[in-house]
Amino acid sequence: MKKLTALICAMMLSVSVMAAQNPAISFVDDLADDIISNVLTAEVTPEQKLETFRAAFTKAVDLKSVGQFVLGVYWRKANDADKQEFLDAFTEFTTKTWADRFDMYHGQDILFTGVRNAERNQYYVDSQIQDKEPVEVIWRLRQKGDSYKIIDIIVEGVSMAMSYRNEYSAVLQQNGGNVKALAEELRKKSAAFDNQNKK
Amino acid sequence: MGKFKYIFVFGFLPLVMTGCATCPTDPAEAELYHQTNDPLEPMNRGIFAFNQMAEGAILRPIAKGYRFIMPELVRNSIANFFDNLKQPVYFANALLQGEFKSAGAILGRFTLNTIWGVGGLFDIATEANIPNPENDFGQTLAKWGWRGDGGPYLMLPILGPSDVRDGIGRGVDALAEPATWLVEPEVWYTGWAVNNINAYANNIDLLENLEKSSADYYAALRTMYRQNRAKKINSVIDSTETTEEKAPAYEADFSDIDWEDE
Repeated sequence: MKKLTALICAMMLSVSVMAAQNPAISFVDDLADDIISNVLTAEVTPEQKLETFRAAFTKAVDLKSVGQFVLGVYWRKANDADKQEFLDAFTEFTTKTWADRFDMYHGQDILFTGVRNAERNQYYVDSQIQDKEPVEVIWRLRQKGDSYKIIDIIVEGVSMAMSYRNEYSAVLQQNGGNVKALAEELRKKSAAFDNQNKK
Repeated sequence: MGKFKYIFVFGFLPLVMTGCATCPTDPAEAELYHQTNDPLEPMNRGIFAFNQMAEGAILRPIAKGYRFIMPELVRNSIANFFDNLKQPVYFANALLQGEFKSAGAILGRFTLNTIWGVGGLFDIATEANIPNPENDFGQTLAKWGWRGDGGPYLMLPILGPSDVRDGIGRGVDALAEPATWLVEPEVWYTGWAVNNINAYANNIDLLENLEKSSADYYAALRTMYRQNRAKKINSVIDSTETTEEKAPAYEADFSDIDWEDE
C-alpha cells in the first residue's frame, strides 16, 4: 500500500510538471479551473452562472468549425442564412447542454496523462476524470496563433463531433435535408433546459 | 429464463439479413448507412418506443422514489455487489481472449472485494487503483475473428442498445453467470430488477441530460453505443492489425473544414 501511494504521488507530480510544461495541457487545465472556480463553485445566481459559462465555453470551443463538421455534406448544400441560423441554434444548444453536464461535477480530480500530436496543428490532450472509476476524456485541440480552440471532446471513445454529426444526419435525412427545420428543433430543445432551471 | 428468449430471437434473425442490398448512393446517406449499419431501423425504433414508454411509466418513477429513499452509500454498495458478481464471467472472457493482464486484474479485484470488501459491497479494488476491464463475450467473439462493427444494430426490448455480436455476447455472458444457475428464479429476477433500478437511479441525471440534448434520441444513442463499443472491442484486438480488421474508428475527420484562419 505504501508503494502504491508513493507511485500515485510520483504520477501526480509528473502530471503537474507536464501540465506546467505543455501549453496544450495548460490550456485545458486552465479552462477546467476557470469553469470550476467561476461557475460551478461560485456563489452567484443560476443566470449569472450560465452567462459566465457561455463566455468561457464559446471562447474555448470552435463552435463554427464543429458546426460545419456536424452538418457534413448538408453544410455545402445550405444557404448562408440557414447556415448562420443553424450555427446560432447549435451554439445556444451545446452551451446549455454542456452547462448542464458540468453541473453534475462534484469535485472529481482531472488527471492529465499526456498529449499527442494529431496532425499539423492539432493535438489530443489525454485526461482522466477521477470518478468512482476513472473516465477517459480526450480533448482535441487546434492551435490558433499562440492559443488553442477545442474542436472535439471524446468521452470513453464517444466523440462529441461524431455523435452530433451522426445524429443530425439522421434528422436531416428524414426531413429532406432541411437545415432550417433542424435549427428550429434545436431552439425548441434549448428552451427545455430553461424550464428545468426555473423549477 | 424468459428474457434470454428475446436475445436469441432478435440476435440470430438479422444474421441472414446482413449485406448491402440497397446501399444508398447519396454520399450523406451512404456515410450514415455504413456508420450506423441499422437495416432493421423501423423495427428497432418500434422497440425503442416501447422501451421509452416502459421507462417513463415504470422504471423512472420507481428509480426516482428509490433514489429519494436510499442513501448514496447504500446505492453504491448495491452497484458494487452486482458488479462483483459479474467478475467470474469477465475473468473467463479475459482468459478466452488471451488478455492475461486483465485476467490478473480481475482475479485480484474479485478476491480483494469479496474478502475485504465484505462480499463485494465495498469496491476497495478501485480505491487501490486496480483496473476494472469488464471483458465480455462480445469482445471474445471479436477476438476470435468476428471483426468489424458487430453486424446490424439491435434495440433489445428492455435491455436497450446492442448489435448482433453483442446481443449474442450478452446472452452467453448471462447464461455463464454463476448466479443464473445457483439461485432460485424468483431470487434471480428480484436481483435483476434491483440491480437495474439501482443502476438507473445512479445515472438518472446523465440519462435525462442525454435525452434532452438530442434532436433524435434514438439516433444519438445508436451512435454513442457504436463508438463506445468500438473502443472496447479494439482494446482486445492486437495493435498490429490493420485498421480495416478493427471495429470502425469513429475519429472525426476535419479535413473538409474551412478554418477561419487558413
